[in-house]
Amino acid sequence: MDLNRLAVRARLRSPWESIDLGVVLARRQWWPLFIVWLLPATLVFGATALLLWDSPGWAIFLVWWLKPVYDRLPLLIASRALFGEKMPAGAALKQFFSVNRRDWLAWLSWRRLSPTRSFDMPVTLLEQSSGPARGARIGVLHRKHASAATWLTLTGYHLEVILGLALAALIYLLIPEQVEIDWMPFLSSGAIWLQWALNGLYLLVMAAVAPFYVVCGFSLYIGRRIELEAWDIEIQFRNLVERQRRSEKTAPLAAQLMLLCALGIFAATPALQARAETGGPPEQAREQIDEILAGENFHRMETVKGWRLKEFKREDEAFPEWLIALLEWLESLSADESPEPNGTSWGPLVAGLLEVLLWIGAIGLAIYLLWHYREQLGRALKFRKKPPREKKAAPETLFGLDVRQSSLPADVCAEVLRLWQQGEQRAGLGLLYRATLSHLIEDYLFEFGDHLTERECARLVEHRRGGNQEQPPVSSALSSFVQQLTTAWQQLAYAHRAPETARVQALCGQWQEVFAHD
Amino acid sequence: MLDTAYSIETPEGIDLKAQAAGPVPRILAYAVDVFYRSLILLALGIALAFADRAGMGIWLLCSFLLEWFYPVFFEVVRNGQTPGKKAFGLIVVNDNLTPVSWGASLLRNLLRFADFLPFGYAAGTLSMVLNKNFQRLGDMAAGTLVVYRQAGGQRPELPKVAPLAPPRGLQLQDQLAVISLAERHGELSEARQRELAGLLEPVTGKSGETGLQYLRAVGCWLLGSR
Repeated sequence: MDLNRLAVRARLRSPWESIDLGVVLARRQWWPLFIVWLLPATLVFGATALLLWDSPGWAIFLVWWLKPVYDRLPLLIASRALFGEKMPAGAALKQFFSVNRRDWLAWLSWRRLSPTRSFDMPVTLLEQSSGPARGARIGVLHRKHASAATWLTLTGYHLEVILGLALAALIYLLIPEQVEIDWMPFLSSGAIWLQWALNGLYLLVMAAVAPFYVVCGFSLYIGRRIELEAWDIEIQFRNLVERQRRSEKTAPLAAQLMLLCALGIFAATPALQARAETGGPPEQAREQIDEILAGENFHRMETVKGWRLKEFKREDEAFPEWLIALLEWLESLSADESPEPNGTSWGPLVAGLLEVLLWIGAIGLAIYLLWHYREQLGRALKFRKKPPREKKAAPETLFGLDVRQSSLPADVCAEVLRLWQQGEQRAGLGLLYRATLSHLIEDYLFEFGDHLTERECARLVEHRRGGNQEQPPVSSALSSFVQQLTTAWQQLAYAHRAPETARVQALCGQWQEVFAHD
Repeated sequence: MLDTAYSIETPEGIDLKAQAAGPVPRILAYAVDVFYRSLILLALGIALAFADRAGMGIWLLCSFLLEWFYPVFFEVVRNGQTPGKKAFGLIVVNDNLTPVSWGASLLRNLLRFADFLPFGYAAGTLSMVLNKNFQRLGDMAAGTLVVYRQAGGQRPELPKVAPLAPPRGLQLQDQLAVISLAERHGELSEARQRELAGLLEPVTGKSGETGLQYLRAVGCWLLGSR
């Protein structure tokens, strides 16, 4: 047994997966398996047709009973194929009698109805064991796979019946409609030739299913052996040893090549010689490598701890109280109605239940619709939710001017005029301007920022004049004041053109008017 | 190498693997579902027998819903597992191994009538046997697949040995084999384990019992015990 030639992947499989693998194996070489099963069975069928023509039921029973005899050749072919050996159907047929020599009587008598037939057959045919040794072996194999083998047999049996019926149904479906057959007398007559035709169909179906049944059982057996004997480990270990051996064989060659290269380099650059001498021979280098690999750097461990949500199993809910109450209420509902004379008191209860369900459905639908169209409804009813205004931090400086309320003097106008008289025109008008900005930000909630210019600020004030529900309205007096002040400030700040004193005084007067409430 | 594995590569270059489930477990799972469905219908029939002809109508309605939507409901809501599939550890997935969607589940279940032809799901069985991934006709149309649910389960108990660092040059597959040897120490016979350890003598330099103990220690190390 050379495991390296194994045609299937050796790995641990559940019994069901082993059976699936059997389907794949059988599918690959279904024809030869079908032929070697069908030919002997057809011979028996022919013989029974000659001898038992009058009792077709017994004939097909005999053919069916001899199944273990035909099963052995497909098994032989499958076992060869497992190790990549192709066995033609002809060669297999020649071995018909030699494979059937062992234990044939047991298989045809007390083991015939064994539900694990295809799983046990390899022990007889391939391991060639019988007697107590076989019993012990079967015991070990059955420990985990017996139930799957039994289900396989049951499934196979039912498949045969169902596929037989399906084949009959297919033939029936393919008879043209014009051919009118009166089926009832035809079927009930029990004509012998009709029964033989059905027997023939059943034989074909048996032969079609048998390869799958036999190979699935064989695959189950192989799966169990892979598990018991660790074929997967053996194959991998052999691969590893082989790889190691090959790399050792090629290692000296590689070393020579490297030496050659090294010599070439040394010849070209004599200066390197001093360093090369400290390297030492390859064995020493390997030792060093091993040392480093075994060292701390390659065995660093890290433990990560943390909390994470576990998958909780949901506990089964107890029967809820409200449901009981509801049922009781329903019962009382039906009890109110006078019992009908014919005694079926279930009608009202069912009707009541349905009514309640309908009401629940209607109310649920209404709630769902309300929820789904809540926005449209809200808009229609003018329930405008105020969008949550995040209070933006008011800027502390604008255009390099301090606009905090706290930085302003108590009497802005007096201070402005005082500065103006002292000749500090820029400081004076600047104070007025930033006092205005500051009030606009604090009282009128303007969101000025560094991204705006003075003119844009003035334009914002102008836009708000029409009124806006969410923010305090701006009077036209304030708006025109801001326009004038901005113009004056821009001319002073950027063009160095100071306004006349009278104009500054007028602006101060306007300032007091528009911010009078302070 | 023959196997029943189904693998698919995600756009991120990750190989996802699953084991496609073949006809036998699927037929059995279907039988379990049929059993449950008949139980429900039987109970309903008894309960509705009192409601006379209306009961008959409701029963027919229920049997229609059960026949066509029982699998759809469980496949979509219960992680691709009807009770029968759950009993056999099977799960329905899309063919890119994502959870099955409403549309796909509906399609694969409505197409059961095609799989049923000409009688008793003969077409479906044939299709499952012949298809590479054991898909029946409805599966092929809906782009779905039945695979085994990989159970997390408990790792087997490890042998009680002090862990040792592995020798150099072990590839991933070799490491897995060593781990497997350590994990199956209770299942394999001692003689067989010694034989397997003996195979690795050229690599480990140890044979027999010491070699086996060494490999078990390496296996424990590879599984993270220190």
